[in-house]
Amino acid sequence: MRSRPWIFVPLVLAALAALPVIVKSEYLLGILSVCFIYGIWAASWDFMSGLTGRENFGHALFIGAGAYTSAFLNARFALNPWWGLPAGAAMAVLLALVIGFPTLRLRGPYFALAMLAAATIMQRLTLIFWQYSGGEEGIPGLDPLLNSKIGIYYLCLAALVLTTAALLLLARSHGGLLLRGIRGDEAACQAAGIDVTFYKIAALVVSAACAGMGGVLYAHYQEAVTPDVFSVALSISIIIMVYVGGIGTIYGPAVGAILLALLPELLRGLGQYRLWAYSVVLIFILFFAPGGLVAPLWRRAVGLAR
Amino acid sequence: MLNILVYGAVTSAVYAMLAVGFTLIFGVARVLNLAHGAFYGLGAYSCYLLTGRLGWPLLPAALVAVLFVAAFGVAMERFLVRPLRHSALAVLMITIAVGLLFEQAMYLLFGSEARNVPAFSNATWSYAGLDVSGQRLLTLGFGIVIIGLLWLFINRTRLGSAILALSQDREGALYMGIPADRIYAVVMAISAAIAAAAGVLTAPFLTVQPTMDLLPMIKAFSIVIVGGLGSIPGSILAALLLGYSETIVAYAVSPAWTEIVSLVAVLLTLILRPAGLLGKRAAF
Amino acid sequence: MSALLEVSALSKRFSGLVAVNEVSFSIAPGEITGILGPNGAGKTTLFNLLTGFLPIDGGEVRFDGHNLAGLAPHRIVNRGLARTFQLCRPFSGMSAFENVMVGCLAPRVRHREAPETRAREILAAVGLAHRAETKVDVLPYGDLRRLEIARALATRPRLLLLDEPFAGLGSSEIEPLSALIRALHRSEGLTILLIEHRLREFMQLVSRVIAMDFGRIIAVATPEDIVRHPLVIEAYIGRAEDDTTGDALGTA
Repeated sequence: MRSRPWIFVPLVLAALAALPVIVKSEYLLGILSVCFIYGIWAASWDFMSGLTGRENFGHALFIGAGAYTSAFLNARFALNPWWGLPAGAAMAVLLALVIGFPTLRLRGPYFALAMLAAATIMQRLTLIFWQYSGGEEGIPGLDPLLNSKIGIYYLCLAALVLTTAALLLLARSHGGLLLRGIRGDEAACQAAGIDVTFYKIAALVVSAACAGMGGVLYAHYQEAVTPDVFSVALSISIIIMVYVGGIGTIYGPAVGAILLALLPELLRGLGQYRLWAYSVVLIFILFFAPGGLVAPLWRRAVGLAR
Repeated sequence: MLNILVYGAVTSAVYAMLAVGFTLIFGVARVLNLAHGAFYGLGAYSCYLLTGRLGWPLLPAALVAVLFVAAFGVAMERFLVRPLRHSALAVLMITIAVGLLFEQAMYLLFGSEARNVPAFSNATWSYAGLDVSGQRLLTLGFGIVIIGLLWLFINRTRLGSAILALSQDREGALYMGIPADRIYAVVMAISAAIAAAAGVLTAPFLTVQPTMDLLPMIKAFSIVIVGGLGSIPGSILAALLLGYSETIVAYAVSPAWTEIVSLVAVLLTLILRPAGLLGKRAAF
Repeated sequence: MSALLEVSALSKRFSGLVAVNEVSFSIAPGEITGILGPNGAGKTTLFNLLTGFLPIDGGEVRFDGHNLAGLAPHRIVNRGLARTFQLCRPFSGMSAFENVMVGCLAPRVRHREAPETRAREILAAVGLAHRAETKVDVLPYGDLRRLEIARALATRPRLLLLDEPFAGLGSSEIEPLSALIRALHRSEGLTILLIEHRLREFMQLVSRVIAMDFGRIIAVATPEDIVRHPLVIEAYIGRAEDDTTGDALGTA
């Protein structure tokens, strides 16, 4: 009974697992499924950028790569949508290597800018090559991964819990320690004999794989994919979620993402002002709570119980 | 051939106007301003508001629009960027927030449909089978004049040399007592004004929409990476390079492929010459 | 005995300025050597060249018989040549223990012994065992200096380059740190090359001094002889505005 708040983790998970039994609303379960996917995206962003301090302004590149890869395979080649998960992750990893190798060995904002540019240009390409990508309409008529909304809910929940747990374990491992060292001082890390470029690229690859799989889940949840999965708005929303959660903590961004994705749905009518609300939240966090909200509150709760 | 020459020059001029301001504020204040596209968009929308909604004549509307955006840039620097300067990431995030707020504000105020801004010149210039709108030629002319004036300002005035000193050797300049905060404000004003001027000039032949800020910004920093972060001559050179490459690709291959030019240019630069064409190599 | 480090005609230019000019020297195993020189003499640039943080313009660095040209900094560390920085560069947000752990995770040492055990041992060796769980952001400056050395030691170097290890320390803190460096030299058989721009601090420490000025080596001698060397005196007196001049030579 050293730290009582830890009890809440299994309690909350149990509550989320029991929810479909209590609440029969498929609408609510659907919203929550999407929130869980946002959680995966935010946690995977945080693993690379939160730990190493190399901001990624185009996480949507990996999300979109996963989503479109799976959509192509499913719609054009009638492949079973489950194949999309490894294929989407592989495509995201490939892009991570293409962008990561030239940019992550450099100092300065090159990586951030290259990611932003790459995601935006991919979005343009989906519009330009509309014969193949469906243009603005995207690719509709995808098969869902599971046939019941409840099944999808559990799938997304499990994916979120597994990804977050795995990323947390990695972040607390020796490798994670080195990633935090890179955030602290890259040159000093090199002076301690660490190949910083390798670790940064490895972190980006892990992050991209998770985001890509999240993209595949999203595409098959929507049963369609549109160019919006590459949008800057999506990339930025994810970063704001990470900020709200508490950068560099993995679990904070996952929870922050769920809360922030849920907020516009709960406050009806806020939906179209979503980005407006997010940017206001971001400015508030930057000025008044630079450590975020979720992780500091959690730490305080754990600390108080000690 | 003549097509490529003229259209390439117009595109290059617009790109250069966008890129010099972006690279200037980075070089001087180390602010990577992701709201730079919003300055461009705000210029166009202010002009639209004054001419289209309030019925002003174009010339005063254009001038007021540019001045307004300059003031907006200064206010943003003073109240949002300066308090967060201790953290580069926070500065980056706040400029993103401003960019998002711009898009959302324009969306709420004017809706998502494209808006029209009147042109200074409706004439069409024809020569040897080539038709160019007067507005495009005007944009080219203004672009050259504005960048020339900026060059004169930086190389021929006291304030300009202070700006140059700050961008070349920050510690030394600060040590010599150059008032950094005031210079940041001036540079932000210049940077915002040039971007807004580009917005006003191109608005008649490009689309004025809430999301119009994004692509110019991507172009601006592609150019800045190719030219070398913080180098003004570098960004002018890269603007010419990208402007002409895109025009040539549009004519020789297909307009659809132009967007790939800047991405390929950025990646090639980062692989072959990370410091950019005219940038200094980043030292450890 | 063959030299552990052999530097021949090493040069570095920065846009016209020659920061390191045809520098040659060698270090025998087990030696403690000092590099003396006024500010701007090229000492830190020399360190950056030896450790791969700056590309070499001319000349050669051989460590243990192998040419180090073109190797990335981390590869050089993993060959057994570690360094500290003139300004302490701790990993902020991490504890002292975690800071040392980073060095213990270098490929050179990672598989030989448990990194955690080794990190604790090294913290104890530099006298920071009681600070293990303290965040470096609140550590006093003297402790940061020790931590800087601990992190380099963690990679189990054969040659340790210390860049002004006493910079910013008060006189009461210098003697214990000096004793620590001597103890490390004795117990681990560590070869050490250290930079100072003031001589007093390392008089007791080094067996040989390499004096530099304007990127060149101007003298190599014992500490007793170096202060009487005319070029060394000129290098210091010639910059009378440096208030450490009297300090540096007067105590010899």
